[in-house]
Amino acid sequence: MNFIDYIEESCKNIEDNHISYIFKKKLLDEMTARANEITGAGLRDEKVIADLLADEFPNIEKQYKEFEKAEKKKSRGRFWRIILALGGVLYFFAIFATYFFVSGTTGEWGKTWLIIVGGIFSMIIFYVSFLIKKLYHWHRFLHPLARVLLAGCVMLASVFAFLFVLTMFDPGISWIIVILGVMAMLIADLLFAFVTKQKFRTISLFVYMPVLATMLYIVLAGSGVITWLAGWPIIFVGFAVDFIIALTIAASNAKYFMYKQEGDE
Amino acid sequence: MERKLTAELWDKMHYLFRDFNDRMVHVELNYDFVLDVEALKTVIICAFEKVPVLHSKFVDKKLSTYWKVMPYNIEDVLTVEYPDDMSSAVENFLTQYIPPESHIQMKFALFIKDGKSTLCMIENHMCMDGGDLKYFLQSFCQNYTKYVENGVSPIEYRTGSRAYTDVYSGFSQMESGVAQRLFKNINARDNHKFPLTKNNIRDASFIARKKFNEEILAKLKAKGKEMGATVNEMLLAAYFYSVYELANFPASDQVMISSAIDLRRHMDTVEDKGFTNHTAWMQCAIPERGRDIFETVQYVVRSSNRFKKDKFMGLYGLPLLNFGYSILPHAASEEIIKIGYSNPYMAMSNIGIIKGETLSLCGNEPADAFMSGAVKYKPFVLLTATTYKNVITLSMCVRGNDKDKEIVEQFFDLMEKNIKTLTNE
Repeated sequence: MNFIDYIEESCKNIEDNHISYIFKKKLLDEMTARANEITGAGLRDEKVIADLLADEFPNIEKQYKEFEKAEKKKSRGRFWRIILALGGVLYFFAIFATYFFVSGTTGEWGKTWLIIVGGIFSMIIFYVSFLIKKLYHWHRFLHPLARVLLAGCVMLASVFAFLFVLTMFDPGISWIIVILGVMAMLIADLLFAFVTKQKFRTISLFVYMPVLATMLYIVLAGSGVITWLAGWPIIFVGFAVDFIIALTIAASNAKYFMYKQEGDE
Repeated sequence: MERKLTAELWDKMHYLFRDFNDRMVHVELNYDFVLDVEALKTVIICAFEKVPVLHSKFVDKKLSTYWKVMPYNIEDVLTVEYPDDMSSAVENFLTQYIPPESHIQMKFALFIKDGKSTLCMIENHMCMDGGDLKYFLQSFCQNYTKYVENGVSPIEYRTGSRAYTDVYSGFSQMESGVAQRLFKNINARDNHKFPLTKNNIRDASFIARKKFNEEILAKLKAKGKEMGATVNEMLLAAYFYSVYELANFPASDQVMISSAIDLRRHMDTVEDKGFTNHTAWMQCAIPERGRDIFETVQYVVRSSNRFKKDKFMGLYGLPLLNFGYSILPHAASEEIIKIGYSNPYMAMSNIGIIKGETLSLCGNEPADAFMSGAVKYKPFVLLTATTYKNVITLSMCVRGNDKDKEIVEQFFDLMEKNIKTLTNE
């Protein structure tokens, strides 16, 4: 069965170019494959087959626009993948070049290793963030892995911040940065959960709030902003926030409950 | 090109019902003329192509489930025979079972004898319920007629979403919010069982039927009107009364029979929706048998009215089921849902009126039409009622033995006796 006329007729407003050729060829292959499937099922009436396929491929112009958009995105993606790969190699060499240059000119060999660590960490974070995006779009079963990787990225950044402060300033309370890192990790995870509308995000919020409040207490007391003795009520702020959130959810659900009750009466 | 379809909530629920029934829905249409076999093949293939779930296999990967669209041949779908014994040919065809792993989920048979045709069909309930099957058959018959008479390609079928959430489409935002928070599990257990024999490896599926003529239906309607009951409630009362007698339940016992309700009542339109299941159970319980069947009718009406007053009738537990299926891998979800779900031992499904004109093929209305629910595994039973040309057909599909057949026949005799009492015959 020949669908070329149908495709040409449906594509008469589409400009002839390489993308439109690929689209038409792909469409012809798909239609022919479907026609073979239907014929294999036992249908012999060619008019019915043609009508069935026309019904299955109804808006070819619209399909083409989507195909064209996807093709352009794909070629842009190919370009950026090359840039990223080449850029990664160049960046890697740039890190070491910078390290040797700064170390050689300043003589601070005991501190300049931070350039290598920071450079490599940022490169890892950069590439892993692409992977997180991919995992998120692939399948919802991969979302937990994306969340773990996101936490890992935040932890790498905080480890670098810890090493940087420890090496450059050494104020004696650098360990606070590690706790701040864990806090940042939890907040990033919450943001991911709420932005991507993960299941059980509210439960995450309930669990994280007291943990975050406790860490905040340790940070503030550890850094001397408040005393250890006076600051402990901060821990309960977390539970208070949980309680307020629970009340808000209950109030939001109450309107539905009230509506149902009124209806029942 | 591999095609996959989402396994919707009701698909998974009916898959879970594999322990209770064979999930086959049965249809028999008798025509006083011989159908065009080639045209029928074309119409069936088009139906399968437009409703791909009909030629898909259900894939259970334990972690998740889905439908995989499969190749098929019309010879596997349609059987054409010229039998000597029409009734046994029909019975043999209708009592077969299509596994969900099969490449096709619907089968047809055309039996031709003495210039007459019997078109039979069985279908996996996971694909669609009785409500949509009636609509499917209507489209099927219209397509056949238009194709044979005018050469119009038989491709007019509803397509679209099969999601359970479509039941909320007729609600306002507030109502939809309420309905989607109905997490209450309304399953109530009742241990009264239809008195069938114990399961045996030699058990075989059978379909028992009983017809009540148009005179009885008219009297039932009139008496029901007088008592403020629908025909369905009158039948349900007769079911209750008969089963008390058949099983010798103490008259003071509370007994429950679940009645299938069509959730499409909550939808704004079904025209843009695909074929699927939208059926739930209404659990009708009576506190005691009643001094006579008239009192039983009053109990049934009272129980049924409690449901009818509820704007969200049948929607309880849907969010809970969805939650159950979405939190864990499929195999684990099933185990958890099984804990909370109690399948009714006795149930009734009134498929309702089958309109002859909607099933007419080239101007020939069926001489008789019959539809029935799945073959239940003992001790579960389902009484199905259909009305065609003002004749009510009650049917019960059971996997059992000759003794069970006798018990079901005895039940139908009691139904007849009690319906006659109700109609003052």
